Amino acid sequence: MVGVEASCQPGPHEMPRRGRDRRVTAPRPGSEPSVPYLARLPSRHQLVSTIAGVRRHLVGPGGQWLALLVAGRLLASAVAVWLLVLGPLSGVDLVLLAYGPVTTAIIVARPSLRRRRATWALDSLLALACVVISSDWRSPFYMLWLTTLALPAVCLPLRRAAWLAAASPVLYLAVAFLWGAGPRPDRLTSETLAIHLLLPVVLVGGLAYAADALRRLQDERSERERLAIEAERRRIAWELHDSAKQRLHAAHLLVSSLNGGVPSALAPVVHGAATELESAAADMDTSLSELREPLEGRPLHEALRSRAAELHRADGPRISVSGSAPSLSPLVSAHLYRIGCEAITNALRHADASTIDVHLEPDADTFRLRVRDDGRGLPTERRPMATGLVAMEGRAATIGARLTVQSPPTGAGTVVMLELPTSEEAR
Amino acid sequence: MIRIVVVDDHPAMRTGLRTVLDAEPGLVFVGESAGDEESLWPLLRSVDPDVVLLDYHLPRGDGLQLCHRIKRDVLAPKVLVHSAYAGGALAVPARMAGADGLVDKGIGARELFEAIRVIHRGEPLLPAVSQTLLEELYERVAVDDRPILGLLLNGAGKSDVAAALGMNVGDVHAAVTRMLGRLRVEVPAARGM
Repeated sequence: MVGVEASCQPGPHEMPRRGRDRRVTAPRPGSEPSVPYLARLPSRHQLVSTIAGVRRHLVGPGGQWLALLVAGRLLASAVAVWLLVLGPLSGVDLVLLAYGPVTTAIIVARPSLRRRRATWALDSLLALACVVISSDWRSPFYMLWLTTLALPAVCLPLRRAAWLAAASPVLYLAVAFLWGAGPRPDRLTSETLAIHLLLPVVLVGGLAYAADALRRLQDERSERERLAIEAERRRIAWELHDSAKQRLHAAHLLVSSLNGGVPSALAPVVHGAATELESAAADMDTSLSELREPLEGRPLHEALRSRAAELHRADGPRISVSGSAPSLSPLVSAHLYRIGCEAITNALRHADASTIDVHLEPDADTFRLRVRDDGRGLPTERRPMATGLVAMEGRAATIGARLTVQSPPTGAGTVVMLELPTSEEAR
Repeated sequence: MIRIVVVDDHPAMRTGLRTVLDAEPGLVFVGESAGDEESLWPLLRSVDPDVVLLDYHLPRGDGLQLCHRIKRDVLAPKVLVHSAYAGGALAVPARMAGADGLVDKGIGARELFEAIRVIHRGEPLLPAVSQTLLEELYERVAVDDRPILGLLLNGAGKSDVAAALGMNVGDVHAAVTRMLGRLRVEVPAARGM
């Protein structure tokens, strides 16, 4: 088993639990410690997490882009300073000069802002306003305006970025001319016009192309890794099934044939050995199903539906699966599937319910998976061996989802609710 | 005396079965095969067993296809399918393949002996299938084959099905082979190997 766990390391559910774990909540009646620690040190906690956030975003995946962006913006601001101090400075100029460094700091500090289209539009328009206010279309702020195109160029899909590349120089010149910052005819040279038309196209186009190529490379690599992990899991599972499990069955068969044929003093020993072997085979079944790639390309609701059909017994509770899942990454789907299955199994085992209702509900920015039963509800004390619930929480944390397990106060049934943010940030 | 042939690809399982069957009065182990064509058919012809204890997951082909072929013989022995995944999902194809019984590999020796005696008496020993699972399995077979599946599960023989649907028996057998392929129960995680 050690070998299995080691090779599963890249697998999602084996990952160490970090940061987001705190968001996972499951009510544990009566056992929750009070929280003086957090109440006492909120500022320090926030400071640490802010620093960690900045570090993660500058150094972590995609950090190179951000470092490049920051360098570009600061350089453009420096150019503006240099060009402005050559002439007479006014109060407005000082405000304009502050724009670059201040917005750069905001963008670094608030990662969520970086992904919003509204931020990009506002930033770009404000930089254009700087250009207009400084009253010259060859403004010192031209470079700064160029850098505001970098974020959308990197984040947008290639086709949209191409539109941006084509539209931005036109927009720039139109705004500059309409607001009276355009060139006097005697100072308009074809070289400057060509540069102003070309530069945004080259910058946005180049960045978008590079970002797209990198994205595809990354997707390919993670897909390859996923396939390699799956192949390895299949191999291990096959070996477990083909060899170890068959031997266990054979051993169990041999030992159990002694039942009733040994002196009564030895009977408990034989019985114990047979029981142990039986449990070992059951454990191995669990490990095997853990190793299995559950969805096989099917959508989540279909996979859950067929699992529900497998689990349903003629004399057991009715299990219904309704709703549908949005398209999610295979990894996330696999975790959701396991959480759903575990919730159904728990309801079957412990709830003594007559119906189990599984509902999948995709929303604009959240996907909800709800498993509700009409059984006896949660025990007042959490069982010490509730490993199923712990595993569900671990899975939820791994994919950044929020898991709640509740029994309504009326005492009827249990609701397991999983909420997964599906906005861009969560992907 | 119930004469038993064991078909299992794993030597440990065969040895284990031989040991316990030989020790049990009333049962006798008369031969074993790893499920390969070369050894299985000559063995069945030469020893003519009463019961074949047949593993479902075999390296070449699956046990139910073998079962289907064994049961086409006029004097076919009883077949007890022995699988590590003997649930409802396997009960449907097992019934279709003509298996007399289906037991889990994890059961103890006493229960296995009892199962062998039960099917030898001619009583079927197949787990119940829930309605939901049945519908799910129907979805998996081709639309044209569904009436055949329905009749077989209601206990009709292959020749009854052929008569009822105006087909010849060979075509019914071909449909069964096709459906057994569609309804295969895979070893967890070993898909695609």
